[in-house]
Amino acid sequence: MPKCTVNGIEVEVKDGATVIEAFMKTNESIAHYCWHPGLSVAGVCRMCMVEIEGNPRLQIACNTPVQDGMVVYNNSEKVKEAVEWTLKFHLINHPLDCPICDQAGECGLQEYYMSHGSYDSEMAERKVKKHKVVDLGEKVVLDTERCILCSRCVRFTDEVTKTNELGIFNRGDRSEIGTFENRPLNNKYSLNTVDICPVGALTSKDFRFRQRVWFLKSFETICQGCSAGCNVQAYYNENGFYRVKPVPNEEVNGHWMCDEGRDVYKFANKEHRLVSGIKKEDSGLSHMAPGAAAVQLREDLSDTKKAALVLTGQYTTEEYLKFVDSFTKNYGNEVYHWINNPKTFDDFDGILLRGDKNPNTVGLLRVLEGKGIKSSWADLEEKLNSGQIEHLVVAGPENLAVFPDLEEKVTLFGQAQKLTVLTPVKSKFYESADYQIPMKSFMEKDGTFVNHKGIEQKLGRGPIVVSQALTLLDLSMILDGSDFISVNSASMGGSL
Amino acid sequence: MFELSPEGKELVKKELARYEDKYSAIIPSLYQIQKENEGWVSPEAVDHLSELTGIPHSHINEVLKFYTMFNLKPTGKYHIQVCCNITCSMFQARELTDDLCQKLGIKEGEVSEDGRFTVSRVECLGSCDNAPAVQVNETYHDNMTPEKMDTLISELK
Repeated sequence: MPKCTVNGIEVEVKDGATVIEAFMKTNESIAHYCWHPGLSVAGVCRMCMVEIEGNPRLQIACNTPVQDGMVVYNNSEKVKEAVEWTLKFHLINHPLDCPICDQAGECGLQEYYMSHGSYDSEMAERKVKKHKVVDLGEKVVLDTERCILCSRCVRFTDEVTKTNELGIFNRGDRSEIGTFENRPLNNKYSLNTVDICPVGALTSKDFRFRQRVWFLKSFETICQGCSAGCNVQAYYNENGFYRVKPVPNEEVNGHWMCDEGRDVYKFANKEHRLVSGIKKEDSGLSHMAPGAAAVQLREDLSDTKKAALVLTGQYTTEEYLKFVDSFTKNYGNEVYHWINNPKTFDDFDGILLRGDKNPNTVGLLRVLEGKGIKSSWADLEEKLNSGQIEHLVVAGPENLAVFPDLEEKVTLFGQAQKLTVLTPVKSKFYESADYQIPMKSFMEKDGTFVNHKGIEQKLGRGPIVVSQALTLLDLSMILDGSDFISVNSASMGGSL
Repeated sequence: MFELSPEGKELVKKELARYEDKYSAIIPSLYQIQKENEGWVSPEAVDHLSELTGIPHSHINEVLKFYTMFNLKPTGKYHIQVCCNITCSMFQARELTDDLCQKLGIKEGEVSEDGRFTVSRVECLGSCDNAPAVQVNETYHDNMTPEKMDTLISELK
């Protein structure tokens, strides 16, 4: 393992590591556009210049392997001047349209301009005009004038997705990123190109022009979209959630996440949410506080001889533990696992996407196993068909998009004499249920998801969207006899 | 739908085996396509080559658009390429081009009405000692003058 000195700090790196990796390890800042830890080395942006003792010429850090005893600087005047000049070249044809650019606030050019820019352009020549608003595919828009040709996106489609949609066409200052005709950028990971674009050239159709990034706050959590359990950063403000981006985790998702997973923030927003408890009465639907609905449910259940519980893999391990415990203690051992897509359940696309579209199936199975529950779905169907179940409680999904069998299953559940649906989101299929009780979404609670590999990961609680909504923990307490609903987490976290 | 001739396919196969990196076969393959496809490379031809070689479309397109020797639009039967680099320009190559366009009634890059001619300015043809140099399809014509050009055009049927 070679050792080197970076700006006076001694650091040990892996064999074959490059100088820029040594910089990353010491947290010393180094300007770079084309280098990305998840991609191959291109060495085209020339921003990561460093001075190596004993070497008369400056070198690029991203393509220079560390040798034992190397002494490297990037804070000398010589390096600063070189980086300044490189930045000037990058900006020759850049439109500098930051006020209308969606990347403003998180742009590599802006960032380094603050530290290296000269604030006074020395270019008298006209800028080269190129294509604006190029529709690359279903999710991504390209502005070729803003592009600095770092080639990160091209390398991403070559190396990660291996779909090769993108290329650099034409020559010299007319070079631009593009796709071949009739072959748009439509792979399942296309939005990663937007994340890794260091400038405002690639933008997401979903997010662009919806919010200035400096008006967004963020927190780290786990993606809810499938059993991969990608680490994500969720961005929000007082109007709701706006986007999620991947957070690197070598063990789980590397540097990436899929496009599907970027849509999971949507159902957590208020317009999709069930906000009050609903009880079906002879006179129609009556709306009430969720806690009050839960208390009425408890009373209803206490008269029932045959109650059953259906769980989806969309809740946290902590919730399963407590809720299964309360339910079985009070109403017997009838607990079933709803698998939403049995045919594609074990699929894997070779990158990240898993066929199991639930974040915590493993957590649920572990809890059921721990409690010694071995019920089969066929049993439930048989019991429902023969009218043996009086009251069925369903802890329903929050990501309805991955439950294609929702309508069919709710019709099946309707065969019970009474049906209770616990759900974070509203759906017209639930209208026939006797009780609908609003639950918190994964963005609003603490807890653990266990991914397909069995890795336990903690959710990071974000802002509360529906403060009166319950978690399965709250509901367990109510089923156990507590009427004190104020213990629910609404009083603990900040709210939108 | 464009398809290479059996000889063309054989050439592509040979080029693929010749270099350690198969991307190196793109240029000779595109030349062959241009020869067989009336002087230009169509998107369908790129499709065909991609299928033949397993090289992604985008990367064939990168090479195709980088080099100006590949034509992206149909050309006339005779593609007259006038060198307009320094030496040839000093010997009135630019005036020669303008004159030629005027005579044929076309602009640079256009195809004449009878489908016979396309005129374009190109970079150095490596024939500075015989400036101004003109390349018609694959044949060089040296020390060109407007008069020699007239004779040349009348000879090209």
